[in-house]
Amino acid sequence: MEDLLAYLHFVVLPQFIDALIIGVALALVALGLTMIFGLLDVINLAHGELYMLGGYAAFTLLGWGAGYWSALVLVPVLVGLVGWALEELGIRPLLPRADRAIVTLLFTFGVSLIFRDIAQVIWGTETRSVAAPLTGIANLAQVFVPIYRIFVFGAGVLAIAVTWWLVYRTQIGAVLRATAVDPSMVASFGIPIRLVYGFTFLYGCGLAGLAGVLLSPIYAVFPTMGHDFLVMAFAVVIVGGMGSIIGAVVAALLLAQVQGLASLWIPPVWAETLVYGVMLLVLVIRPAGLFNRLGEA
Amino acid sequence: MLQAQQQAQTTDIESRPAGTVAGRLLRAVRSGGSNSTLLRQIALVSLLLAAIFPLFGGSFFTRLAIEALLFGCIALSVDILLGYAGLLSLGQAAYFGLAAYVAALMYLHVTQSFWLVLLTASASVGVFSFLLGAVAIRAKGVYFALITFGVAEILSKITHNTRAIGGSDGLIGIPVPSIRLLPGLEIEFANNYVFYYLVLGTVCLLYLGTRRILNTAFGSVLRAIRDNSDRVPYLGYNPFWYKLLAYVMAAQIAAFGGLIYPLLRGFVAPHLFGFEVSTKAVVMSLVGGVGTLIGPLMGSVIITFLESVVGSYTERHLILLGIIFIVFVMFLPDGLCGLAQRTFGAGRKVKP
Amino acid sequence: MSKIATIAKLGVAGAFMLALAPAQAADPIKVGVVTPLSGTYAPIGKQVRWGAELVVKEINAAGGVNGRPFELLFEDEEANPPVAVRKAEKLLQQDKVDLLTGTVNSGSTLAVGQVAERNDRILVTTVSYAPSITGAQCSANVFRVNANAYMQSNALTSWLIKNAPGKRYFFIGPDYEMGRSTTSAFQNDVKRLGGTDVGATFPPLGAKDFTPYIGQIRAAHPDVIMTATAGNDTVRLLTQLKEYGILTDKLTLAGAAGAVTQENLGAMGGAGEGFLSAAGYSIDIDTPANKKFVSMFKKEFQHDPDLFAADTYGLFYLFKQAIEKAASTDTGRVRAAMEDATWQTPQGTKKIRKGDHQAVVDMVIVKVKGNDFQTVGKVPGEEAVGPDDCQKF
Repeated sequence: MEDLLAYLHFVVLPQFIDALIIGVALALVALGLTMIFGLLDVINLAHGELYMLGGYAAFTLLGWGAGYWSALVLVPVLVGLVGWALEELGIRPLLPRADRAIVTLLFTFGVSLIFRDIAQVIWGTETRSVAAPLTGIANLAQVFVPIYRIFVFGAGVLAIAVTWWLVYRTQIGAVLRATAVDPSMVASFGIPIRLVYGFTFLYGCGLAGLAGVLLSPIYAVFPTMGHDFLVMAFAVVIVGGMGSIIGAVVAALLLAQVQGLASLWIPPVWAETLVYGVMLLVLVIRPAGLFNRLGEA
Repeated sequence: MLQAQQQAQTTDIESRPAGTVAGRLLRAVRSGGSNSTLLRQIALVSLLLAAIFPLFGGSFFTRLAIEALLFGCIALSVDILLGYAGLLSLGQAAYFGLAAYVAALMYLHVTQSFWLVLLTASASVGVFSFLLGAVAIRAKGVYFALITFGVAEILSKITHNTRAIGGSDGLIGIPVPSIRLLPGLEIEFANNYVFYYLVLGTVCLLYLGTRRILNTAFGSVLRAIRDNSDRVPYLGYNPFWYKLLAYVMAAQIAAFGGLIYPLLRGFVAPHLFGFEVSTKAVVMSLVGGVGTLIGPLMGSVIITFLESVVGSYTERHLILLGIIFIVFVMFLPDGLCGLAQRTFGAGRKVKP
Repeated sequence: MSKIATIAKLGVAGAFMLALAPAQAADPIKVGVVTPLSGTYAPIGKQVRWGAELVVKEINAAGGVNGRPFELLFEDEEANPPVAVRKAEKLLQQDKVDLLTGTVNSGSTLAVGQVAERNDRILVTTVSYAPSITGAQCSANVFRVNANAYMQSNALTSWLIKNAPGKRYFFIGPDYEMGRSTTSAFQNDVKRLGGTDVGATFPPLGAKDFTPYIGQIRAAHPDVIMTATAGNDTVRLLTQLKEYGILTDKLTLAGAAGAVTQENLGAMGGAGEGFLSAAGYSIDIDTPANKKFVSMFKKEFQHDPDLFAADTYGLFYLFKQAIEKAASTDTGRVRAAMEDATWQTPQGTKKIRKGDHQAVVDMVIVKVKGNDFQTVGKVPGEEAVGPDDCQKF
């Protein structure tokens, strides 16, 4: 019995807490992805590269002498604007097409390739790093957690809460949700749909940028970082239900736990494969994911 | 990219008084081999160019052309699904890779008989695509794309993680075989020219066969499903079986490419299942023209050669590929075949 | 059938005529460099490229090889074997290179080695350290001039057992061929020399977060952590170990030669401090040849060279010596001249072992101090090189 408690306390609990923090980080990346899909039917394959841009923007700003905290505010705005420009220039002309889900997916894939290569031209191939603004380790009942990770967790939860509040408790959110269900009805009220779409991209990509700044001190910055993250973010969005905000959060926490806890007992590479297995299982059993998409309460 | 075809279809319906699904079906069936003369001319010219190519190509470009044709098989199989069934597969490389691994393992451990290898690879892909297809095609729109992506990713991980089949390094040492057509008549793969014409001939047969099948009532029903899948069941067709058959057929074509690949390059690696291979096949069909069948094969040759030539001057090949993606999606949704049609075939429509 | 046969004959005749074209005296000696110039392994490819460019400039300025200059042809292989093979065939069949080098990951090296074999040319790797390349999967057409995983492991573990405090060793290897084989070499040597294996973990290649393994590491109370990660993976691993307070004064960090390099040390924010590895090269090797190499390299590229650049640089002096001895670029004669060759490189004398084509390289134990690498020990190459396992030639 004592052994079991010790095992739970010293092996399983730390694993659980670490995975919880990873889950929140993952949710942050997945949130923008799922919002954009929910409103525009667009699978943004360049989302990982916007996350990468966030990391590089933070690296550059800090190199110019800006502080971490000002980068934390500035970078999401910058990346959001890049996302907005993408929507304005590339996505919007494609939306009237009947097969818009497919063509926008292909378009954003092209964008992702270009961004990844441009990053290599501008910032080179070496790994870059951003120093964490907070150091030290907290000892929570013999479970050690770095202070910065606790901060990332808090900031992530806050960003998720703000997003939830924005979508479900404000006027803007009501418009967003209505647009997800029936854009033409919203337009008939005289609300400019293009602004709604532009805002969604700005906000969703801004979240990717925020994730880029928050995670760069932990995960480092390099050209393929977004590509690596995107597959996992996809699994989250699929399991949670494409377009569902709550689904993305729940699925991110769930999949991070699956991978974290499974790697206690099976070889880690198979734990990673297991995550894709869960994704596939959900796709097969409930293709639309565990939760309903935006607007369909 | 389907827009052009859909517009063409719409005009068809509008020109007929009874613009119903039944009417469209009827029309499609009646026009039978509705490949325009232009597409047929494009196919003929390509074949002619392909036939004399090795005289100028030298051994490297001849072998590169073989590879282009093999990857063209994936592009062709993407086109069958996207152009005819309206399904975007982001994981067609799964069948290429699966066939390549089965062939490699058979050659290394079981048999040197090409026909036996062909049979095993084809049968494994057949079973796998039937099972996966039965699950995947019930998912609509982008979910189909995501399922196919996920399966290819998992297969890639499994081969990467399994050391018994070479793990991350893959398998080398696959012999250059010969095929015994009849007793006493052997074809040596060691000769690049023989190899090339053999692959070219087979790909031509695959192309012609696919075109033939898709120009029958089967293809018409498939297109009707693509355009209006809710109403087809009322006409007595079960969309499920039509889509599944198209899916299995497409997998077999991708598998042919995969089966030959290890014979050309002498090895297999988990990268053959990769997302890069699957997405490149999609660009290839985009460039050539979705729904034209010949377009994807041309697209494969163009992309493969372009990458090989440009690769000597710059390592910025991702930017190149990205720009091609964007240009074709935004400005040339019906690909080079569509461009040719607008340039040379005023008034004629490219129809699938 | 007859048509195919005729065309086939035409093709053969064409190839024959090309082969008869006479080589002129001042013809360049073409060396194809298939190396990753984009993607995750691009930082390594960049060092390979710089090393080759520097040495070729130097040799050509000094009159080349019997009057023939070296000519370099680069192709980006993206660390992707199918791409590497296609590019290698281009170099061999279209550009008609005489020699090949540059491959980094073991999958590419093995596959390109096979292409070299089938085209009767020689591939020399200056980076891949998976033992199989000169072991179970060795080829008469493949050479290796860098230290392999056995040599690194041999030299490093024997130094650690003597000098590092504590006997408890923990191992971290990314789960792919190079990571697995290096880690198992570490484990075997540690056990053989009397250390205790207190655990091992194999995160996926490219793992983002190492926290799922940190609990296991902490629970094992290791005195020494040995890792076979490379590039970005090492950055993440070491910064996260530091973040979690695992890195203390009592703990020794060590690992494969490619784990901490000039290209990723800067991104670790001090987490790589004290990292020990055994390599065939260290920037501070105190010989005139190395000092000249380092200063020329810095002048040319405004960057420090690392072991990949040094090994590639040194390789061209082997090429030069072998071609001069063979008085030809004929593969058979060059191979014969390379086998058992002894030649001078920035890091000292290297010798090719005839039995498996592995270079015998004096190993240096290198320690990270600040942004520099310092030599803290030496192990003679003959001691480190281990048995010859090649059965194929």
